Parts: sequence; C-alpha cells; structure tokens
Amino acid sequence: MLYIQNRELVVPGQLIAEGGYNVREGAFREGKQVFASVVGLAELRGQDIRIIPLQGRYIPKPGDVVIGVVVDSYYSGWILDMNSPYMGNLFVSDLLQRKVDLVREDISQYLGMGDVVVAMVKDVDDRMRVQLEAGEPGMGRVKGGKLVEISPAKVPRVIGRKGSMLNTLQDVGECELRVGQNGRIMIWGKNPRMINAVVEALFMIEREAHISGLTDRVHLMLEKIKSEGGE
Amino acid sequence: MKKPEKLIKNGKRLDGRMPDELRPLKIEAGILERADGSAYVELGANKVLAAVYGPREMHPRHRQQPDTAVLRCRYNMAPFSVDERKRPGPDRRSVEISKVTREALEPVLFLELYPRSVIDVFIEVLQADAGTRTAGINAAAVALADAGVPMRDMVSSIAVGKVDGTIVLDLTKDEDQWGTTDMPIAMVPRKKLVTLLQMDGHFTKEEFGQALGLAFKACEQIYGIQRQALRDKYAIKQEK
Repeated sequence: MLYIQNRELVVPGQLIAEGGYNVREGAFREGKQVFASVVGLAELRGQDIRIIPLQGRYIPKPGDVVIGVVVDSYYSGWILDMNSPYMGNLFVSDLLQRKVDLVREDISQYLGMGDVVVAMVKDVDDRMRVQLEAGEPGMGRVKGGKLVEISPAKVPRVIGRKGSMLNTLQDVGECELRVGQNGRIMIWGKNPRMINAVVEALFMIEREAHISGLTDRVHLMLEKIKSEGGE
Repeated sequence: MKKPEKLIKNGKRLDGRMPDELRPLKIEAGILERADGSAYVELGANKVLAAVYGPREMHPRHRQQPDTAVLRCRYNMAPFSVDERKRPGPDRRSVEISKVTREALEPVLFLELYPRSVIDVFIEVLQADAGTRTAGINAAAVALADAGVPMRDMVSSIAVGKVDGTIVLDLTKDEDQWGTTDMPIAMVPRKKLVTLLQMDGHFTKEEFGQALGLAFKACEQIYGIQRQALRDKYAIKQEK
C-alpha cells in the first residue's frame, strides 16, 4: 500500500509505503513500513522505491563516471579528489590498462599534480576506500576545456530525462560536455563565448533545479546568447 | 528585572499565553549559501542559526572511525545574545549543551553509511530568551535534513517547567529565572523516543507525567512546522 504519489516531495521520516516493496537509496524499512530518509522526490517504479535526493554530497558507488583532480601521488599510483568525503585511488595499471614495471618506468610522465582525470569507480569497499580505473576510451587525463563544479544532487537535472537537457546544452551551446556523477562537468568547445554561455546555463540549472520548465528556459537563454553573435 | 509578584494571573502567563501554549515558532530551511545545510529558528525572542557541513573528510585523522561517521556539535552563544555581554568562547555550559545536543541528534542519523567521515553541526545563538538548547536542536534537525544527511526522522525539542505551582510549556527567561522547575526534552516524534531529558528543579511523579504529556503534544506541533519548513524550500515551483 502506497501513501504517496510518484515524484512527490518527501521529507525524512515520512511514511511512504507498507508491504513488500524493494527499498533502494533514500529510504529505509522498519518492520513492514517504508520511510524516507532524505528530502527528495519519491520515485516509485513497480515494486521499487527510491528517493531522488535534492541535496547532499557525492558518495562514490561502483560504475559511476567521475571527474577527479590529482592531489597526491605514490609509488604505484595517484590520489584523486572527487568532490566527496572520500578520496579516489588510481593505480598506474588501471590508467594504462597494462602491466607496468615500476622499477623501469617513471610514472610521473602519465599524471601530475593538479591534472584533471575522467575515471570510473571500479570498487568501493566497506570502509569506503575507492578504487578508480581510467583505461576505457574517453577516460584518463583531460586536455584543455573548462571544468565546472555544481552540487552533485543536481547532476540528474543537467542530464535531463533521457539526456534531453544534455543534448540541448551540447547542440545549442556547440560544446562537448562530460558530466561526472560527482558534480564536476568538463566543457570543450571552439567558441569561448558559447563555452561561457554553457557555464552560465549550468549554474542556472543548479539554481533553478526546483522550478518547472527548465529545459525550455535553458534553450531560450542559449539561443539568445548565440543570436547575439560575435566571437 | 525584579521578581514579579505573580507569574501567572487568572490562568494566563506574563506574556498572555496559556500554560500549554507555545511561543510563536518560525523555522526557515537553507538560508546559508556556504554551508551544506542550514536552518534559522525563531522561538519567541530566541533567534538561533544552525549550519551543517558534511559528511566530509575527518580532520584530525586519528579521530576517524573506520566503520562509521562521527557527529560533532558545537553550541555557541553570541556575546550579544544576552543582557550582560557573554564572554565569547566555549564555557562549561556550552560544552555541556554541545554534548547533549549531539546525543539528542545521533539516534536519528544513519552514521554507519559514511565511514571515516565527519558531520559538523554548528549552532549559533544570536538572541537568547530561555530554551535555546531546544531551539538549537530543532534548527539542527532541519539543517541536517537540508544538508541531505539520511535520517530516520526529525528531532523535535521543547522545554516544560513549573511556575507558581503550575505546569507550563516553553518557559521564557523570566519564568525560567523565577520558576521552580525547567525541563528541556527532545524527542523523535514518530517513535516517541526521548533523546534528551534534563531537569533543573523538582517535579512530583504526577507533575512529571503531566509535563511530559505537554511536551509530547508540543513536539508533534514543532515536528509539523519543521517538515513544512523543508517542504517550503524544496517544493517544485511553477514557472512564472
């Protein structure tokens, strides 16, 4: 038995349902009852209940693509800041996807302090130690572009339903975007004016995530800046 | 102020309230830009601000717990919050209140979800008129929810006491000063779980039961206002 509508706003401690539902993130079970544990929008899909949080830090989970910044290096890898309470660990072998002879090879040629890296979370253990990998195409060290940081809870809004918002940003903004689940976004483009417009659009999404009709407004705003022309 | 002859006249209190009536309560969520979560509470003349940071990496590192997050609370009174300037910095009283606040909030948090991290709660009292620790707990609970920290429920808190032989709810400074008993309570409303109970003065068994009843009812009321504060901030607004 459900006590709320789909996509309804819930607050911590609110009763969502009673009975044999599958409880996912943002909710918890007490006996037969299911309660919300965060402020968010309830998503009810079949027997699954999850709460899409509207606030909060990024907590790494396997399979997420994140954008990290190298803050430290050690004998066989690097430590990456992920805009999260936890640091990420990237071994050279997970960056190059081959065996590396650490005696012969100097790994500082691959990554240095302050480098931005697109990586995927490979594993998180129960003490929240994070293993990253960056071997797949499109991952690894980032060259050029602009890095923007927004609240990780707003990332689903930046992507939009079936990627609608992301498509708008890329097509109208004439840029290429890479969105990390941790709220960091890389932007590449030819026209610096449009890059800045997309940055503004991202901040607008973060600010107005709770107001309806957002994709249309972003579209309008980008079109306007585009039509004003100039380099 | 000199002690008034009577604190309760014709069944009404100095400020015109009934014995079981709360002071006007206003709660606003998410008013600080830099904190992860925040709340502002006005309870009568009390003005309290709460800010939450985290979960974030714990420093100093040796205080990290490998299997759980740590909750840190700081209750602090501004020098201008009381009539006589309060010497700034932690004192015996605020260290104690910080501790009991932490213990009042801890049971509702899913701290085990964030091992090795810390959640910081800062409670700043801008203006005090008795019951600041309860106002601080109310504010902190809303601020934690606003920060997106997973919680089993909110925590609601209120003081009850005895003034002129009558059990009263939510004492003011004068009532606290001239009254005989002051008992702040915090509870998890859904489960009726008491997470803070302190008492200064005396109650008989019957009075205690009556006071607890009053506090439970008031906490339900506060709970509603806390939830509404969160809804007001996050509700999806229609485009103008």
